[in-house]
Amino acid sequence: MARANGRNSWATPTRAAERDDPAAGAAPRRKILEVRDLAVSFKTYGGTVQAVRGISFDLYEGETLAIVGESGSGKSVTIRAILGILTRNARIVGGEIRYRGRDLTQLLEDEFHDIRGKLISLVFQDPLSALNPIMKIGRQITEALQLSLGMGRVEARDRAIELMRAVAIPEPEKRFDQYPFQFSGGMRQRIVIAIALASDPEILICDEPTTALDVTVQAQILELIAELKTRRNLSVIFITHDLGVVANVADRIAVMYAGRVVETGTADDLFYDARHPYTWALLSSMPDLETREKLFSIPGAPPNMLYPPAGDAFAERNAYALRIDHDQHPPFFRISDTHSAATWLLHPKAPRVERPKVLVERIARIMERRAADELARDE
Amino acid sequence: MSDLTTLRTILDPTEAPDLPDESFELTQSDRTLTDVDFKTPAVGYFRDALQRFSQNKASVTAFVIICAIVFMAIFGPGMTPYGFNQQNVDLRNMPPRIPALARIGIATGHRTLERRRVEFLEDTERYPMGSIIELRNPTVISGVEVVDVVVDYYAYLGVTGSFWFGTDYLGRDYWTRLWRGARVSLVIAFVSVATNLIIGVIYGAVSGYYGGTVDMVLMRICEVIEAFPRVVVVTLFILFFGTGLFSIIMSLIISGWITTARLVRAQFYRFKLREFVLAARTMGVRDSVIMFRHVFPNSVGPIITRTMFAVPLAIFTESFLAYIGLGLQAPEPTIGVLLSDAQRVLLNYPYQSLFPAVVISALMISFNLFANGLRDALDPTMRGV
Amino acid sequence: MSSPAMSDATGDALLDVRNLRMHFTSGRGTRRVHVKAVDDVSFSISRGETFGLVGESGCGKTTTGRTIIRLYNPTGGQVFFEGHDISGRLSPRATRLLATKMQMIFQDPMASLNPRMTVEEIVGEGLTVAGEHRRSERLKKIHEMLEIVGLSKDHANRYPHEFSGGQRQRIGIARAIITEPSLVIADEPVSALDVSIQAQVINLFNALKERMGLTVLFIAHNLSVVKYFSDRIGVMYGGKLVEIARSDDLYRSPTHPYTRSLLSAIPQPDPYSEKRRRRIPYDPSQHDYEREQPSYHEVSAGHWVYCSDTELQRFANAGT
Repeated sequence: MARANGRNSWATPTRAAERDDPAAGAAPRRKILEVRDLAVSFKTYGGTVQAVRGISFDLYEGETLAIVGESGSGKSVTIRAILGILTRNARIVGGEIRYRGRDLTQLLEDEFHDIRGKLISLVFQDPLSALNPIMKIGRQITEALQLSLGMGRVEARDRAIELMRAVAIPEPEKRFDQYPFQFSGGMRQRIVIAIALASDPEILICDEPTTALDVTVQAQILELIAELKTRRNLSVIFITHDLGVVANVADRIAVMYAGRVVETGTADDLFYDARHPYTWALLSSMPDLETREKLFSIPGAPPNMLYPPAGDAFAERNAYALRIDHDQHPPFFRISDTHSAATWLLHPKAPRVERPKVLVERIARIMERRAADELARDE
Repeated sequence: MSDLTTLRTILDPTEAPDLPDESFELTQSDRTLTDVDFKTPAVGYFRDALQRFSQNKASVTAFVIICAIVFMAIFGPGMTPYGFNQQNVDLRNMPPRIPALARIGIATGHRTLERRRVEFLEDTERYPMGSIIELRNPTVISGVEVVDVVVDYYAYLGVTGSFWFGTDYLGRDYWTRLWRGARVSLVIAFVSVATNLIIGVIYGAVSGYYGGTVDMVLMRICEVIEAFPRVVVVTLFILFFGTGLFSIIMSLIISGWITTARLVRAQFYRFKLREFVLAARTMGVRDSVIMFRHVFPNSVGPIITRTMFAVPLAIFTESFLAYIGLGLQAPEPTIGVLLSDAQRVLLNYPYQSLFPAVVISALMISFNLFANGLRDALDPTMRGV
Repeated sequence: MSSPAMSDATGDALLDVRNLRMHFTSGRGTRRVHVKAVDDVSFSISRGETFGLVGESGCGKTTTGRTIIRLYNPTGGQVFFEGHDISGRLSPRATRLLATKMQMIFQDPMASLNPRMTVEEIVGEGLTVAGEHRRSERLKKIHEMLEIVGLSKDHANRYPHEFSGGQRQRIGIARAIITEPSLVIADEPVSALDVSIQAQVINLFNALKERMGLTVLFIAHNLSVVKYFSDRIGVMYGGKLVEIARSDDLYRSPTHPYTRSLLSAIPQPDPYSEKRRRRIPYDPSQHDYEREQPSYHEVSAGHWVYCSDTELQRFANAGT
């Protein structure tokens, strides 16, 4: 596939042949959001925390981009910058966020009102704190409709019930007049999603929307988001640290560590052919249902972003660290048109290293099963 | 290669910059990575709190003011040759005179005598030599020439020493009485607050930690005690025990510990289900140890703060009681007694109200600021910030 | 009636839980609420075994653990630990046994360490309670424990807030193992940790199991972790233990509809199978226990399901 432009070619969409999504295969899709060299710092008592240190990614129409990282990696700060809801001690120190030709980093608070919650909506992690406990559910949805779309009361009510039906709330007419405490955790998250969808946004940002939920409920919510995405042609940015969830939802993935993107590619690229040692570590530090080998554990803890280390931030904890990692940050190396990683291990002079055993064996198992499945299908 | 370009561009491995071979040696593949020791020395809880407290300028200032007032309360009365109850009716309501400050026009010991007949100005019996400082507003009233005379009151009365803060209506030295009063007020405050603290902490701890029926009964008792009007209680105490320190302190204790008990109870409720308390319970730690070694130290911040707020409140309450005539028996001064006496002559001798008012205000503001600083310093979530 | 507790106890059961019930009541009069947090739960754990308890939040798994270690007084049923009944009024001997031989590791590494105590005080508390009053002896043991969990002597005089989440959890583990317990109840020990830290703690657990011969009751909602870590697994739903099996059995042939639903919902780090995953919904109203009382049935050796007779028939048919 042709590269869209010289730089950032890693951000081009997945090759159609590799995708299961039937919507792919059309002409190259439109970029809806471009983040370039975004850097965000926080002023604290202790000094300046460099939460995000120059990250770039694109979001294409109708795709789900998962941003994966641990707490403190800068993923939440990134989406807060996109939504213009950074805390007061935060400052965007560089880069831009382009959306429909406008740079969101330059917008005033007033101008943001036309975008936030209307064109770009957010689904919070904790549905309980996202809803007003003393306001009826229906009112909370109609409020969003009346405020952002200027609907009348009756119209808003009809639309709200329609939305509740869209997020699979049973008996929406009855539920309309109930309070949040009368809803289960999963139902509350559906309401939060309904509110986010009220203004028919183009981009839905989900900030760990299932972390607070049980697995069975989590699966339902993920299904709901996937269904809404195709039906409404939403572009989704999905923030999470759970790789199982990522495997479920993501078309493309960006892995973040210490305020930087360290590896990016399609879901297949990252799960079956990861190149960055941190991605390996993430993938092999958690068991799946078939893991028996000793887990691969990373020592230490993420660096303090008050004093980000010179060179590769992961070097300290990295068993595969090269000498150069300790003083020079690696550039992004292209692995394929869709896949690139920032590690010196991809330099031609770097030694060949073995991936963690857990990961190698897991991928082998998956490939085997996949081959068996395909065989079965052919017969 | 600058850092920014490395972030923007995606290099094909073939176009990678040429770097020396030794850059690409694995440095950590053989050593097992372990946790690093801390580089900074261990800082104890209270040292850390002290460090943070000392960064708060307002609180440090407040602390200095409190220390100064306490110092004066202890040593102030001894600084003058007068006793707190040494009366001299000839020297009533003397204006303050501090020789060191007189030169810049403060506490000069001057007083304006209004509408004095001009004809007597030359009379040295009435106006001893050098006692007249200034004449103001000469007017004629019913044919008599009068003038306001600013006199050096000390020379006017032929007094040789100085009363730094003047004297009161019985000619007692006000400086001595003020600091003596501050001492009594502070003693009342500290004793009552300390007693309230001890009762409140134990009562609240038991109530909060055990909860259930115990809690219910203990809290109802609090409500009953609280229902008695304070003034009635004080009057009863005075009836039975006379007007004295004991009655005043008791009246401050009788219901004062309840707020502390409530606070401690809330803190215990908050912490008793924390996992570290559960952990101690699973290890068979005794209840009393859990209460005073696990839970109490964690709630000490709010308790100290609340206690600090209680000190000026106690002084204020004592003043209020003195003001309505339920204070200490004369001649023992307290800040409240002084204020209550002074307000009767507020228009004539405003300085008599000013000094105790300044002291009580300084105490209240300082204790509040000090308590705020302590609260922040003792808050474990602020640690390391 | 057979129950998994009875049959599995091959004479070497370290912990034997029989018909454990923990009901909570709140409110008074007409607004009195009765919650059966743990209802008729039976299982046993052999020496050296790791038993996993899984279930959604509010299913009673945490309450089960806490009732066993007597943070709550059980409403009914019996718990035998090293042959002693520890469910009723505790004799001084049973209290001592509980305090030293059974320890607990908590979920939140921040909340489970007293912020006002140094690591030395936290880790050494168990020794003090056990009657070791010589500080030098305590210190020796504390340093040894810190080393086992990968920390150093230098860390002993520090306060918890100076440590990262993973380190804190290891301090919690050091506190639990210092009295050389025979049973450790680990209540969601990794779920509050960052992904890259979880492996540290899980590996440490595995090493400790081997080194100290620990028996572990592992409570978690993440079935992948429980499966990786446990020899046998119990699945809880609504206060009941609905299925018990060896972990491979449970994964290969889940029988109770809730277990099937749970297994089908677990996200796996594999886009291929994730995109093809079919979730099996679970509807608790399918059970009609008005007509037929449920009980434990052994569907294969050591694999127990809580259901009624007709359901057993249905499950057996569905399985084949």
